[in-house]
Amino acid sequence: MKDKKKLVFALAGNANVGKSVIFNHLTGLHQHIGNWPGKTVERAEGTLHFQGYTIDIIDLPGIYSLSTFSIEELISREFIALKKPDTVINVVDASVLERNLFFTLQLLELETPMIIALNQMDIAKSKGVEIDCKRLEKLLGVPVIPTIAIKGVGIYQLLSKAIQVVEANESKKKIYPIRYGKEIETRVSKLVDMINASQLKYPARYTSIKLLENDEEIRKEIQSASPKIVAVSEKLSREIEDLHGHDCSTAITCGRYEVAGHIASEVQEIIPSTKPDLGELIDDITTHPLLGYPLVFAALLSILFSVFTFGDFFSGYLTDVFYCWKPLFMELFGGSLIGELFWAGIIDGIIAGVTIVVPYITPFYLMLYLLEDSGYLSRIAFLMDNLMHKIGLHGKAFIPLILGFGCNVPACLGCRIMETERERLIAGFVVTLIPCAAQSIIILGLIGEYVGLEWALLLYAFDLIVILILGRIAFKTLPGEPTALIMEMPSYKVPHPETVIKQTWFRIEEFIKVSLPLIVAGSFSLKLLELLNLLNPIANLLSPVTVLWLGLPVATGVALVFGVLRKELSLIMLATLLGTTNFSYVLTPVQMMTFAVVTMFYIPCTATIAALIQEYGWKKAWYVTVFEIVFAIALGGVAFRILPLFI
Amino acid sequence: MELPLTELKNGESGVINSIRIVERSEHRGRRHHWHRGAHTRYTTFMKRLTDMGLTPGVTVTVVKSAPFLGPVEITVRGSRLALGRGMANRIFVEVNR
Repeated sequence: MKDKKKLVFALAGNANVGKSVIFNHLTGLHQHIGNWPGKTVERAEGTLHFQGYTIDIIDLPGIYSLSTFSIEELISREFIALKKPDTVINVVDASVLERNLFFTLQLLELETPMIIALNQMDIAKSKGVEIDCKRLEKLLGVPVIPTIAIKGVGIYQLLSKAIQVVEANESKKKIYPIRYGKEIETRVSKLVDMINASQLKYPARYTSIKLLENDEEIRKEIQSASPKIVAVSEKLSREIEDLHGHDCSTAITCGRYEVAGHIASEVQEIIPSTKPDLGELIDDITTHPLLGYPLVFAALLSILFSVFTFGDFFSGYLTDVFYCWKPLFMELFGGSLIGELFWAGIIDGIIAGVTIVVPYITPFYLMLYLLEDSGYLSRIAFLMDNLMHKIGLHGKAFIPLILGFGCNVPACLGCRIMETERERLIAGFVVTLIPCAAQSIIILGLIGEYVGLEWALLLYAFDLIVILILGRIAFKTLPGEPTALIMEMPSYKVPHPETVIKQTWFRIEEFIKVSLPLIVAGSFSLKLLELLNLLNPIANLLSPVTVLWLGLPVATGVALVFGVLRKELSLIMLATLLGTTNFSYVLTPVQMMTFAVVTMFYIPCTATIAALIQEYGWKKAWYVTVFEIVFAIALGGVAFRILPLFI
Repeated sequence: MELPLTELKNGESGVINSIRIVERSEHRGRRHHWHRGAHTRYTTFMKRLTDMGLTPGVTVTVVKSAPFLGPVEITVRGSRLALGRGMANRIFVEVNR
């Protein structure tokens, strides 16, 4: 028996409808952001107390349909159909009513108790769209609450209405009045009769429609229960195909859109405003063939700049704060082996994570969410799509790629903005090949300084070529279909600061929970190796690779191992190990180039590995890491053999 | 007359006639042929487009094209979408000229 005072609400709707703003209004700080089990899809959950109820709110991913096209869609429909939330709050963008209603109709097919938040009423109004909520309510058979989430308008009404729906609908099955064309409906009801006879877990009408749509998941489900139903549905869907001239799935989609269009035109009145819209003007400028690219460039530079100014300042500040405790600590525990291990291993690891990564990912997330919420991200993707197609990605991947030049960690986490798992992985892989600021220090500080700036630039060019080639190979070999860009261009709007800040905060919280322990563990084990005097034996152990294959001094092995922990220190490490800061005394130009090639391509650092694990799971993170290490070493060896011909 | 969406001028509208898989394979010297998986690829492709409202019979208006043969921005059913050029090339619309 379900506890009557505990409720589960699900928020569902298209992307860019203000769903996360509503979610934030409802749940405040009682949120938990993680991933759906086994998926790289974000799962946001929060609780609130209202009228004596404890309500759990699940923010489902922003989607346009409930087919099996993407994991997000599958997750959403399984959650609604099988977990049966007490109410689904469907957030609808009032300014794009028809397309949003298409999704609403599919939710109705699931016969779940629901309520509509007709959001962004202000944007609709500015576009000259007036909506008759009462009429909409009547046509859909579902309560409709107008909201302007960004200003908090209608949130209270929404919540109390949702409670009313739950209290009124206690265990009552919902049947909604929506019907598609006759040619579809007669066949649906034939199937419904058959399905009703054999008990199934999904609603009969929904199952019938999905069967006619040739939905893989449902088909598999029914095939095992009753192969006869599947056979009949195949026959019926062929009949619809003959009548309609397109495949049955398209015919049903058309049917839904016809109903959505009909309802939309019944309830809305559009008086196009004659005033020039500011959003339109900004759109024209930001996607202008001549102005657009400089603006993207300026935007990216300002992101990099702000991330690094803020990061640098804050990182330095935090380091000072942390290290001022060191003398005190040393006085208390100093001298002992345990004390040193504790400080250098654990505290240093925490400091590394907190002072190096957090100050950089915080401004990055803020900027990313601002870009996304304002609508500019879509414009950047629009301009950069063509370029990104060269490596099998589309426009949206441009942002994480560029950020990779700053730090691979936020770039890796930023790959979330890609739609499919496959693209997220390609983007994540490509991003880790981009030399981050710390790798750039090696390229510029070692090669630029001691071999020549032209060689440093050549290395960058080489890196880009390798990225292009490896990106293409990944795109050709990874299973799954490349997806072309199909993206909504939302109207420009002022971002909701509170939501942006909260989203940023929860991301950082997640990073601290997942990645920080890994960084500390890495730091701890390296310190342990050092204290046990195992570094030299390891360097010797690595000598076949470092000396024979790469032609480097034995000591560089240690620098390469340490480099995984903190890349920006590997140059300093190298100097310490080789006993000089003038590298031209101890390394030949070829050796320097080899060293730079290896550090440039191999996995940036433990924090990046941690980010990969967080985003893609252990297995894929492991593949990427091993591949990049092997690849970097292989390439380094080749460089060592070829470069003497040129230098 | 029937044209791929990419041939429309900015501001021009057309009614979607058909969505085809025409793989640009001139340099390979053969037309696309239906191998295993081509069918599912086609249905997934269709599903993505139709779910976003690009169903046969609907009117679409081209807003603008991104420079350097980038995506095409369109309005359909009151919403604005950016379509990758490859995708837009496969959507054939009836235009009055």
